[in-house]
Amino acid sequence: MKRTVAQSLVLYAGLLVLVLIIGLPFWWVVTGSVKLPQEIIQRMPTMVPHSFTLKHFEKLLQSSDFPVYLVNSIVVALFSMVVTILLALPAAYAFFRMAFPGRDLFYRLILVAYAFPGIVILIPLYGLFARIGLVDSRASLVIVNVALALPFSIWMMRSFLGSVPREIEEAAVIDGAPAPTILLRILMPLIAPGIASVAIFAFISSWTEYLFASVLIVSDARRTIPVGFAGMIGQYQIDWGLLLAGATAATLPVVILFALIGRWFVSGLTEGAVK
Amino acid sequence: MTAFRFAAAAGLALTLLAGSAYAEPVTLTWWQMEQPPQRVKRIQELLDQFNKEHPDIQVKQEPQSWGDVYAKAPAAFAAGNGPDLLNSIPDFTTVIKKIGAVVPVDDLVKDLDAKHHFIKATLAPYQYDGHTWAVPAYNMALSMWYRKSMLKEAGLAVPKTWSEWKTAAQKLSGNGKYGIGLPANKQLYTDQTVYSFMVNDGAADIYNDDGSFRFDNPKTVAAYQTYADLQKLSPPDSPSWTWGEAEACFNSKGCGMVLQFTVISSYNAQAEGDAADLGVAAVPHADDEPQSATISYSNGIMITTKDKAKEKAAKVFLSWLLEPEHYGRFLNMEPGLFLPVTEDGAKADSFWNDPVTTKYKTQVETMIENSKAGKLFGFTTGKVFPSIGAISAQNVIAETLQHIVVDGQSAADAVKAGQARMTGIAGK
Repeated sequence: MKRTVAQSLVLYAGLLVLVLIIGLPFWWVVTGSVKLPQEIIQRMPTMVPHSFTLKHFEKLLQSSDFPVYLVNSIVVALFSMVVTILLALPAAYAFFRMAFPGRDLFYRLILVAYAFPGIVILIPLYGLFARIGLVDSRASLVIVNVALALPFSIWMMRSFLGSVPREIEEAAVIDGAPAPTILLRILMPLIAPGIASVAIFAFISSWTEYLFASVLIVSDARRTIPVGFAGMIGQYQIDWGLLLAGATAATLPVVILFALIGRWFVSGLTEGAVK
Repeated sequence: MTAFRFAAAAGLALTLLAGSAYAEPVTLTWWQMEQPPQRVKRIQELLDQFNKEHPDIQVKQEPQSWGDVYAKAPAAFAAGNGPDLLNSIPDFTTVIKKIGAVVPVDDLVKDLDAKHHFIKATLAPYQYDGHTWAVPAYNMALSMWYRKSMLKEAGLAVPKTWSEWKTAAQKLSGNGKYGIGLPANKQLYTDQTVYSFMVNDGAADIYNDDGSFRFDNPKTVAAYQTYADLQKLSPPDSPSWTWGEAEACFNSKGCGMVLQFTVISSYNAQAEGDAADLGVAAVPHADDEPQSATISYSNGIMITTKDKAKEKAAKVFLSWLLEPEHYGRFLNMEPGLFLPVTEDGAKADSFWNDPVTTKYKTQVETMIENSKAGKLFGFTTGKVFPSIGAISAQNVIAETLQHIVVDGQSAADAVKAGQARMTGIAGK
């Protein structure tokens, strides 16, 4: 069906509005990070900078612990991402293909993990981690992040596995391939977009996690960006330039990750949605 | 035999010497809630100096955030890995006292008071139930900030009463400017600004002596009504403000007057930085009140270790910190924000030597003067009731204002509902 000119105009106008709504705050943050303080605090914001400075980034990198927070965030997010994939893939395959008592019940039950607000389990978890010496360690954050991301990742991954034609698996079985080989050699390459989607989901979940990181981490040297950055801003006085420079720098790793595997993420979402 | 005795004595002496030479220093962990990098850096400089001068005591800081510490500290104490020193504000002290983690500091405060003379308003919120629960460390008091040139241009004197204040705010409004910037967010900043109206109308006490509430009274209603009237002259986004937005509005000349602990460092860095034009005054009072008061937050440091050696070391450290030659540097971790809690500190060269503090000397002197009339809700009568922690945490004072400003309730109805909320919280 061919669109009329009027329909196209409405469509593109709608898309433009959406792009502006989503893009303008990012634009304001990024351009604000290079404005002079006087321009940042003007009541009427300037969309195109009238001034230019890199002093907020200098302060961010030289006078604050932001680089330490950045490294911690990257380490925690990467480990959380890898462990989530390593656990979600076989778990999803088991739920998808293997027959065992209570399979459907357990498959639904794992989502109960999302029924409890984080704050409810925060204090008991702190006590537990303190007992085994994990408080103030990045490992504690990886464990929490994996636990939070895993249930939904298993659901996502199972949907992707379901999109693979059964005949391919059957051919591998006829050739005598055991289950791990089928998963690793046959299915994994076919659901690469799904793995990319889970990877991005796990990475971003970890990258933005605040609640547990704020309580489980005690020392500055192990803080991640959301918590360390919240402290840097200050309660009674806000250094707006530092805030915007930090926000800009904090989005870079996510942007890079999307640039690398974002193409798969979109197709992965579509696969899951159709299934 | 003599040789044997000599050898034994020598052996004992050597053992003692070796023991003292290699004795582990007492290590103290200090959770302090000043996380901005320049504050962490200044505190570290002081700790490095202290640790060098006291090889038998090592203090390390672990900066925390006020937003997290209410959940984090009780969890840490319950798990047995809480800090030895913990920064506090009065309502947080009640939380830590309730779980039995804080040690009274009566003798230490008595000694420090004799030596440095605490400003009474800073000590009072920590003295109840027969003990002193924290050593006051620095003070913050809300003041009214304005530009002298703007008032002069409008033909206004510095407002001292609510009537004068309303007139000034109205005259300063127009041409895209707002006469005043007052928040109405359900947040601590609004608690503070609203309470600064209440204390200026004789409605400082929210509890009766028996622990029941006296929040719902005509003076409180009048304070809320005046606040709501002035709030109409604030920018339309002000109901969602915290401290930073109000400060930015003032620094950009969008707001004629604001209530803040300070605007000095941001005015110096982000606005004109003209010390001669920056005005600060006491928060105006009700027309029938004789003088101004304000809300003040005396920040203290609690000793939270039951280990006697650590407790002793903590007292050595706190005494060292309040010595005038160190104390001024401690306060100037954020010049123009943190005010001295001792008379000695207010005169200390180390305080007045800072370039920003020196530049804004008259403003800082006024802030110190204002802080002497400081009060804090729930800590005004010498009796402290545990429910104040929850009332403060749930921002009931700010919530009451929202019912007027956002929901359109009358001040009388909102205050009545506010008292019901407080009673409900206390009953839990």
